[in-house]
Amino acid sequence: MVNVMKGVLVKCDPAMKQFLLHLDETLKLGRKFIIQELDEHHLFISADILVTLQAKIDDLMDQISFPLAEKGN
Amino acid sequence: MGPPKRSGYKADRASRKRKKEEEETWAADEEEATADGEEAAVPNAAARDAEKSDEKVQEDEFGAKDYRLQMELKPDNASRPLWVAPNGHIFLESFSPVYKHAHDFLIAISEPVCRPEHIHEYKLTAYSLYAAVSVGLQTNDIVEYLKRLSKTTVPEGIIEFIRLCTLSYGKVKLVLKHNKYFVESPFPEILQKLLKDPVIQECRLRRNVEGDAEDEMITQVQEKKNIPSFGAKPGPSTEAGAEATNVPDDITNFYEKMDNEDEEDEANLQTVSFEVNQEKIEVIQKRCIELEHPLLAEYDFRNDTVNPDINIDLRPSAVLRPYQEKSLRKMFGNGRARSGVIVLPCGAGKSLVGVTACCTVRKRALLLCNSGVSVEQWKQQFKMWSTADDSMICRFTSEAKDKPMGCSVLVTTYSMITHTQKRSWEAEQTMKWLQEQEWGIMVLDEVHTIPAKMFRRVLTIVQSHCKLGLTATLLREDDKIADLNFLIGPKLYEANWLELQKKGFIARVQCAEVWCPMTPEFYREYLVCKTSKRLLLYVMNPQKFQATQYLIRYHERRGDKTIVFSDNVFALKHYAIKMNKPYIYGPTTQSERIQILQNFKFNPKVNTIFVSKVADTSFDLPEANVLIQISSHGGSRRQEAQRLGRILRAKKGAIAEEYNAFFYTLVSQDTMEMNYSRKRQRFLVNQGYSYKVITKLAGMDKEPDMMYKTREEQGQLLQQVLAASDIDCEDERMPGEGGPRGGPGNRRSGHLGSMSGADDAVYYEFRKTANTNKHPLFKKFRY
Amino acid sequence: MANNGIGSSKQDNSSLITQTNLECKNLYEYLKNQPQNVLDRLYIHPAICLAVYRELPELARQYVIRILFVEQPVPQAVVASWGSQASSKEHNYVTKVLTDLNVWIEDSLPGGLIGWMLSPTFKKNLKAALLGGGKPWSMSSALDADKNARDVGFLDSYSSERWECVLHYMVGSQQQEGISADAVRILLHAGLMKRDEEDGSPVITRQGFQFLLLDRHAQVWHFLLQYLDTVQQRGLDLVECLTFLFQLSFSTLGKDYSTEGLSPGLLIFLQHLREFGLVYQRKRKAGRFYPTRLALNITNSQNKNAPILEEDSPKGYIVVETNYRVYAYTDSNLQVALIALFTELMYRFPNLVVGVITRDSIRQALRGGITADQIIGYLKQHAHERMLTADTKQPLPPTVVDQIKLWELERNRLTYNEGVLYSQFLSQADFNVLKEYAQSNGVLIWCNKEKRTLVINKNAHDDVKKFWKKYSKGS
Repeated sequence: MVNVMKGVLVKCDPAMKQFLLHLDETLKLGRKFIIQELDEHHLFISADILVTLQAKIDDLMDQISFPLAEKGN
Repeated sequence: MGPPKRSGYKADRASRKRKKEEEETWAADEEEATADGEEAAVPNAAARDAEKSDEKVQEDEFGAKDYRLQMELKPDNASRPLWVAPNGHIFLESFSPVYKHAHDFLIAISEPVCRPEHIHEYKLTAYSLYAAVSVGLQTNDIVEYLKRLSKTTVPEGIIEFIRLCTLSYGKVKLVLKHNKYFVESPFPEILQKLLKDPVIQECRLRRNVEGDAEDEMITQVQEKKNIPSFGAKPGPSTEAGAEATNVPDDITNFYEKMDNEDEEDEANLQTVSFEVNQEKIEVIQKRCIELEHPLLAEYDFRNDTVNPDINIDLRPSAVLRPYQEKSLRKMFGNGRARSGVIVLPCGAGKSLVGVTACCTVRKRALLLCNSGVSVEQWKQQFKMWSTADDSMICRFTSEAKDKPMGCSVLVTTYSMITHTQKRSWEAEQTMKWLQEQEWGIMVLDEVHTIPAKMFRRVLTIVQSHCKLGLTATLLREDDKIADLNFLIGPKLYEANWLELQKKGFIARVQCAEVWCPMTPEFYREYLVCKTSKRLLLYVMNPQKFQATQYLIRYHERRGDKTIVFSDNVFALKHYAIKMNKPYIYGPTTQSERIQILQNFKFNPKVNTIFVSKVADTSFDLPEANVLIQISSHGGSRRQEAQRLGRILRAKKGAIAEEYNAFFYTLVSQDTMEMNYSRKRQRFLVNQGYSYKVITKLAGMDKEPDMMYKTREEQGQLLQQVLAASDIDCEDERMPGEGGPRGGPGNRRSGHLGSMSGADDAVYYEFRKTANTNKHPLFKKFRY
Repeated sequence: MANNGIGSSKQDNSSLITQTNLECKNLYEYLKNQPQNVLDRLYIHPAICLAVYRELPELARQYVIRILFVEQPVPQAVVASWGSQASSKEHNYVTKVLTDLNVWIEDSLPGGLIGWMLSPTFKKNLKAALLGGGKPWSMSSALDADKNARDVGFLDSYSSERWECVLHYMVGSQQQEGISADAVRILLHAGLMKRDEEDGSPVITRQGFQFLLLDRHAQVWHFLLQYLDTVQQRGLDLVECLTFLFQLSFSTLGKDYSTEGLSPGLLIFLQHLREFGLVYQRKRKAGRFYPTRLALNITNSQNKNAPILEEDSPKGYIVVETNYRVYAYTDSNLQVALIALFTELMYRFPNLVVGVITRDSIRQALRGGITADQIIGYLKQHAHERMLTADTKQPLPPTVVDQIKLWELERNRLTYNEGVLYSQFLSQADFNVLKEYAQSNGVLIWCNKEKRTLVINKNAHDDVKKFWKKYSKGS
């Protein structure tokens, strides 16, 4: 027997993986979405969460970035 | 918290908190300045904003403000250097053959916005135009020269703006001569207008008792005066010869006219004036601002026969650099001393400018700075550059035992002058004397750090003929800097960092932002913990620790001297102890500090020291050429500039290498620290500095004996961080900083103990008791 | 930029997972996919032989010249021995190129050795091109002097105006002059634009954005290849058109040529070229035409070593500062539109645009499908001369280059791959079998022996499933 599941293989750095785990545990995207933790750099997640997830990652990046060029006023 | 009482345990605790009044400088800045409720009196015209004059402008399809219809391109635009936008922003080509002409002019009439390599942006503001007229530029000349320099026609709105802002500014002066105050102006109609005001009439002093010639004013012809020369000058400037060919005549001609005007135009100027009652000076100053005619303070020191000259001159060895001389020429341009602010980067020789100004006026001088350490430095500077000796220079601080009364040059701190608590008998006497004096010149160091409120207090206590503000950055996060324009005077000069760097007057610094990935364990905690802990997690990130360790080793091998800054004390101590390096923070005693600094300076084995933010202002750091920030104070642009200043002093052999100083900021990736870091950089980036992002330090993975390499070690570190108290998570709190932001009055409160130096003793006692504890270093020093 | 939809945040899974980039073929890549009979017909024309020869790698040109006058096959081993062992990789490559292009063909020598020999048509016509002779090229009919003669300056401004019309249309600039329906069809066919799902109007695609940032030569070449794809549907003869194009590319700028003797098909082709600015005609029936700079050397646009005519490199106009400010010396709406693709614009002066590169502006461009390298490439290519003469002598501040790349990397911190996860194998052997199978078919994207878990590419799911069923039954 073998277990077969469809989804999306995510490859990322360890810190980002922690971020995804955090989102999963705290249900930040409304539900759990990680199907399986594979290794330090890989996760297997449900495919239909992708757009929401990417938006959340964009949010994080928006938060920690600061406009370095002033528009001058 | 109310004003601390002097007696009992409570006072001692309070005094521990405010260990030294002199160290509270940073408290004065940025985030707290908003506590300053009272608005400074500024003329209405100053509220004008060219920025708003283009609100109706159409945006083009790409979202840009489309000014094409308001600006008509001139056929010979290529040989003219600038564009003037209808919102008051001016763009200048730094590679234009007319750059030099335009640059001097723009510095005089506008504020620099950014000055990188190729195209500089300036901005016309009400304040900048006020500054322009006060150094002698006339409305028509400003408009005319701007037109000639511009590649396009100058928008009507801008011409109107310049007219409005310069119409009434700078036309009336308050002059002290022969110990009488006069309101003086070359425009009789303006004086007449002023005299119609009942308040001003009140202030007028009529010597003529009969009053037969009620409105008669004193008419006088001002004689031509030479501007003083400032010490020895370097050889003739080498730039002069290579004047480019492509300059349109109308620009060159006008430039020459403007350049000379400064000095010679006053030749036979006819002025009218009336005398003012000395007791009503403040009233008339305030009233004139309300009437849109702020009084410019000018001091005709050469004709002041009442105040005795002091015997002080520049030493022959004092050689002024061209920009230092230029700034002084702005100040003494018409043979009198103008009040105002001179802006020079750290390490570019501000103190020589201050000393020279005092030597030029040659009247009793008062120097205000923001810490006891600066007081010592200024004294040193006076002795180095001028002929003044110990008998002439006195310090008025809680520690110094000088007898200030009767001295020629008095050096003290802002807080020493302004604090409202009871003073010792000696201090009381000194204050009395100080208040009775008519100071020839008052030099205000680091003037941007002083809240307007405190500043106004200084002005009510000290009577001075002329005020010179010195600073590295006219930068405050709260924009309150504008008030200084009317409290001290206009900005007289502002140097260009990049140009000074190119000419080797300040070091060439490589700025770098080193990205340290968070280890998964630390990042996990970062994501779940409460906000206050986050700071500690990103500062203590093992990868950051390793990057620090690696950079320190790298620069030690090169023979560099490195200062590591950490605003967080927990991290400071942990890093320093783990790496076995000396460190200095708030509680470090004076003798320990001196010992560490002496070692850093002279001991070839001590090449790296760790310091907390006390080092930003409270003591003179010896020369270093590498600076590493592992934790810094939020997004303060000024702290960043100030820290860069630590390594800016021009290094020997400056030309030999592409860079001779290094400025690293270590940030933990994916944390808020990234945001703060960028925020801090904005000012320097606009001065033309660029931060290289280093995502991987080459060679770090091969470096042996790196700390916190194993998971176990990292885990232990994480446990320590998680066990740390809330206070450990904060930046080092400077005395007087933070706490409830209630009344601004009690925020800065001190008591006699802190003024007289007793605080040190109290603190020392506290430390002694602390020492009986097993781990004194980890004992918190505040509660 | 709102009108071209680049800022739209609508994204579907597929765009996160697969992104196709603009594929720029060079002459070799284009011709190698043509059937042999087309190549043979092309090689009848000396102009084409010369063009192909010029585009060959250096080593291949050596080989061609060495055997050009050899009348019998040259043993392959001999050819191989002309280069040192060290360059055998290159030898293998050019061998393939020459074969793909049908420039040379295999032939057996007496004694069973296999040799190379130039294809007869190519050999004959390359000789003609190099040595002269043969029939005159078709564009050589004599003409009277043109009383409305046009000079190079005129032609240059005409051609760039026409070409920019197409580009303007693509960026959706409001000041556009319409372009013909035919041109729109080509843009759609090329995938540079697509029909909007809602109102059917053409909107630019990510390949379209990438196209805009190419240099002018590469744009023309790419566009023409896409055009040539459609000629047969238009009832035109591909070989005829290609031949004409190659002849054009060897023509002289500023000289007029007669339309006499051109087939009806070619006359239609000529009108298309006219619309895009490759040729100038005063009137449709003028009887003469002028090739423009766009038509010259079209084939060697990919060859960066080719000498570029002074006038070919437009004057740089972009200044980028270390504080991310962008100053563009231009009054061209197209250039402004291009910069606006990745810059936040602030002010528009008569001869200058002021803008700033921000994280948002770059991310918007990245979302639109432009890559960091393309942005950097564009800024470098059009750097103001001042950037190169200043102390730093760099067309772009290195920190800005780094930052643009970092912004791109930031978006690519995570990569996604649709897949199927197989786990809980009963035995290591089962796991190994499936792993071997997936690996040998190149569809394994992740595996862990200890956990007996693997992930295969989603596209291969059906196939792997079949294999697994068969295997399970068998065991």
